Amino acid sequence: MSAFLARARRHVGFQIGAVLLALFVGTALVSLVWTPHAVDDLQMRAKLLPSSAKYLLGTDHLGRDVLSRIMVGAQTSIAVGLIAVALGMSAGVMLGAWAAARGGWVDEALSRTSDLIFAFPAVLIAILITSVLGASAQNAILAIAIFNVPVFARVTRGAALSMWGRDFVRAATAMGQGPLGITLRHVLPNIASVLIVQATIQFAVAILAEAGLSYLGLGAQPPVPSWGRMLRDAQTYVFQAPELAVWPGLAIATAVLGLNMLGDGLRDLLDPRLRLLRVG
Amino acid sequence: MIEFLSRRLAAALVTLALATVVVFAVVEVLPGDPALIMLGTDARPDTLAAIRAQYGFDQPLLTRYLQWIGGLLTFDLGNSHAYGTSVGKLIGDRLQVTLPLGALALSWALLVAIPLGVFAAWKHGGPGDWGVMGLTQIGISIPNFWFGIVLVLLFAVTWQFFPAGGFPGWRQDTLGSVYALILPALSLSLGEIAILTRVTRSAMLDTLREDYIRTARAKGVPERTVLFEHALRNALIPVMTVTGLIAGFLIAGAVIIESVFRLPGVGQLVYDSINNRDLIVIKNVVILFTILVLAVNLLVDLAYALLDPRPRISA
Repeated sequence: MSAFLARARRHVGFQIGAVLLALFVGTALVSLVWTPHAVDDLQMRAKLLPSSAKYLLGTDHLGRDVLSRIMVGAQTSIAVGLIAVALGMSAGVMLGAWAAARGGWVDEALSRTSDLIFAFPAVLIAILITSVLGASAQNAILAIAIFNVPVFARVTRGAALSMWGRDFVRAATAMGQGPLGITLRHVLPNIASVLIVQATIQFAVAILAEAGLSYLGLGAQPPVPSWGRMLRDAQTYVFQAPELAVWPGLAIATAVLGLNMLGDGLRDLLDPRLRLLRVG
Repeated sequence: MIEFLSRRLAAALVTLALATVVVFAVVEVLPGDPALIMLGTDARPDTLAAIRAQYGFDQPLLTRYLQWIGGLLTFDLGNSHAYGTSVGKLIGDRLQVTLPLGALALSWALLVAIPLGVFAAWKHGGPGDWGVMGLTQIGISIPNFWFGIVLVLLFAVTWQFFPAGGFPGWRQDTLGSVYALILPALSLSLGEIAILTRVTRSAMLDTLREDYIRTARAKGVPERTVLFEHALRNALIPVMTVTGLIAGFLIAGAVIIESVFRLPGVGQLVYDSINNRDLIVIKNVVILFTILVLAVNLLVDLAYALLDPRPRISA
């Protein structure tokens, strides 16, 4: 651990990523207890105001404080991204580890299924789901989670397969341990770093996806503040208040950049030979 | 090579067949009663019955599925519930915007990314490499629809070089139509440029380590020839693979970008169809997108076979 920290101290990208992520998570945490103004405080007389001492980033078309909404919007991004990735990761890791342990038709069937899901771009999965089930944060989470399953299944399968060929796993097999025991005791702990790195990157991808969906109106519904939705509203007023379209985008880019840099940094620090799956 | 390509074609057809089952299940089986989705829960029983009869929702599932597949094979996709016109014609009209948009974005992405990637690999470890890699990191992190909005802010609101959105139509104003696609294509290509630059760079780094490159350099072959003729030819193979992968995401990204620029393309059609609950249009558009993604990947396989003389039996 101390060796890891020593190397982390020399990795600039990792540090920038960690600072940006801390800013992102910190904003969400602070917004739980404090925002400069109430998020849903409608002040129709104070709408589309430019930045001022009272409203640091100005106000939106309903006179709500933009800074407060961006702070609370961080909560939405984290909640949707984290739950979606956690769900997709749990299912994907289980399926991938199963495919690697069983091989044969299980492996073949799972690989073909993940090819099939890859043939559908994530936005289309989301569109299909929301067109049938309705637009909501839950359905956006479901759509992003479904897209994450094959990503984690593939990464887990590949990494687990290489573990199954290693001597210590063969020794465990020879000693009569079952596939489930070996997977839990030997395979998963040894591929944890790959999964952590992939999860960081997928969190970034999920935040982008959530922003895109809520921009289309398919994500979190009003009055819940979400960065994508703020951009959609801002676009209507692009001639009156152009800066409204700047802040939410900067927030998304900062959060995603932080996670991407942290993920790349973690990969360098944990296992430089690792190749990430990067699709979004 | 023929064997390799026919195997890939067969695999693509199997994927497509499975995709039709999944889409059918999600759109027509999962919701219980599709007529209720299309008309809303407060619809009158007789209008619901009429819709069920019109779209054959009262038929057995297998019959409905086979009818849809038969329609797909004969390009008879039925009529849109919201527009009242043929879905085939509706999609055909919209493709005239989406396909040029996608093609423009993809060509632009390749045109920028390949030289940038070659440059970064050539300057490996130096400030030029760091700069390019930093830019790609930012390019991956910026949502393309926000980049589109920022481009509108700069080039349509502040300096009025381009229209902020809309599409005049190819027949009415050809030049204006090209003009209307430039900002959307630029925004759509942002993430693709970043990814392709990275892939080109790492593929170039792999090839530049090969012995034949060292031999070429030792023989005094000019650096430009080494980079662009000897190394790039082999580095292009992984670049092609990734191009195929992201082509699908380019098509899907068009859904959002068309919404930003109010372009009357397939993406906008999907968006409107969700709001209109037009399931007939949605299921056909999703299958169409799937066919496009699979077709692009087949083209990549073909390019593969042409670039790499060794026939790849399994890939």
